[in-house]
Amino acid sequence: MNEPKRSRYSDVGMRAVWAIEENPSVVAWAQTPWGKAGLLLVSFVTLLTARDWQASLFLLMAMALFAHVPAWRSMVLFVSTYATAFFFSSASIDESINEVVLSEGYTQLSPVTLSHVALLGFLALAWGLMAYARRYKKSVIAQRPVLTLLAVECLLCVLSYRGVFSGYTRLAIWCLLSVFTPYFWFLAYALVDQRSKDRSSDLFQLGTFHPAWTGPTSTPMGKGAGFLRKVLAKTPQALAITQLKGVKLLLWEKVLVATSVLLTWLCEKQLHIPSLSDAIDAFLQNHAYTLGMEWAALIWSVTAYTLQITIYGHFVIGVARMAGFQLPRSTWRVLESRTLIEYFNRFHYYFKELLVDFFFIPTFFSVFKKKPRLRLFFATFMAAGVGNALFHFMREMELLETMGVGGMVETYLSYLFYCFVLATGIGISQVRANAGYKPSPSVWGRVQSFVVVWGFVTLLHIFSDESRNHTFLERMHYLIGLFGIN
Amino acid sequence: MNNRKQKIKDYLTDKLKSQGDNTPLADSDSLFVSGRLDSVAMMMLVVYLEEAFGVDFKGADFEVSLIDSVEAIALFVESQVCA
Repeated sequence: MNEPKRSRYSDVGMRAVWAIEENPSVVAWAQTPWGKAGLLLVSFVTLLTARDWQASLFLLMAMALFAHVPAWRSMVLFVSTYATAFFFSSASIDESINEVVLSEGYTQLSPVTLSHVALLGFLALAWGLMAYARRYKKSVIAQRPVLTLLAVECLLCVLSYRGVFSGYTRLAIWCLLSVFTPYFWFLAYALVDQRSKDRSSDLFQLGTFHPAWTGPTSTPMGKGAGFLRKVLAKTPQALAITQLKGVKLLLWEKVLVATSVLLTWLCEKQLHIPSLSDAIDAFLQNHAYTLGMEWAALIWSVTAYTLQITIYGHFVIGVARMAGFQLPRSTWRVLESRTLIEYFNRFHYYFKELLVDFFFIPTFFSVFKKKPRLRLFFATFMAAGVGNALFHFMREMELLETMGVGGMVETYLSYLFYCFVLATGIGISQVRANAGYKPSPSVWGRVQSFVVVWGFVTLLHIFSDESRNHTFLERMHYLIGLFGIN
Repeated sequence: MNNRKQKIKDYLTDKLKSQGDNTPLADSDSLFVSGRLDSVAMMMLVVYLEEAFGVDFKGADFEVSLIDSVEAIALFVESQVCA
């Protein structure tokens, strides 16, 4: 039996103790029936704090079957994904459909049933599009899948807009839009994979659309079938190591959850630090908190958000690793980011990968080939700016019904500003990194890097709140007020 | 080809070290699919290959597997240089 690969951290203090997946005895144990059961049991207990026991049990059984019964993998993936969609799903699609159910007066119709019917319709559409892309390799859907899907999204938005159609027709189109939007990027990955020589089966591809381990996020956590089949553990030893790392990540996630609970109690209940939204409201109403409390509100908001993203990512990846997917963590030592481009890579890996795959790479290979710095900056801007803005705008497409296009755009200006500034900062950081810039590794250098990166991120956070409760000018006013200028 | 391969390997080793990864790099080790290097590093590699070897990615349908290991990169560069 081969020795487990040594990690670059295995000689470093406490990490050597924690690196159980590098211990040959532990890896051997994890491959025994007792070991497998033990890992599943520990995972089940960690899941119970996040989901009810039925959902937790179902999820782990699905991951175990996927991991240990290779012949059934595509079927297990497909069934677990759609059983989750139909029986354990979140309410977001139903709520979106309900908006038009109410406005068209069809209160006797169940939004849940409509969402299920729409999902079946979407699956048929997705299957058809994949087959078409495979057969007609020069077609626009095969060559430009994201642009094509964006055109479909726009068409559905136009057709479902008030006044274009009404009644059942409008409701049907809206139902399809409500499902198409959250599945958009999953379908995009599947269409791209149709070009691969070793592409996955249609059953597997459809199974990667909001797989059971991801929850309701619109970001494919694990990218698509193309990436998943490459990172799937190929040997029993690799599977054991992956599952050990999965269990570790789930346990670490619990530590972060406890940290989050403690910090929330401390900051909100003991120190009475207001939410950022409340602090901005008070500022605008001339009842501003003290300057220290306003800064505390901002810093606490950034901290809470970072913890939330980290906890969610660790949960998702931890569960996916139980199925044998050797997936990198979604958030990785983000506090150690020394540059903005490092921060962008470490904060939400799979969102960053989506932007790179669908915006950075196509732009990079298309423009400014004779001007390398401009090429790199522009491609980065397209990803971190344009792609970022588009992704988040589309994610709230249900607001089309309550706000209309004008209202959606107007209340989105603050987030657009955030994307523009973030993309500019990351683009400059990217160009500097490519030119060989490296921050000083000294203690003072690291402190400087932390202050610059997290100072930038914290101040910009004022504009990245997607609540749409405050205008861009109100947020700018608050930002300026933080420096004592009124 | 060996000279090119060594230059590529030296570049990648340097890149890995700058990320704190001192594990030796074998010619067949996966760089990007394994997550050892991310997509930003991938684009920096593309720029390096274009500048150092005059590779033009325009003609190739870009796929990660083309540049996922030292071996794959060397083969790809050889095919582009000889084309």
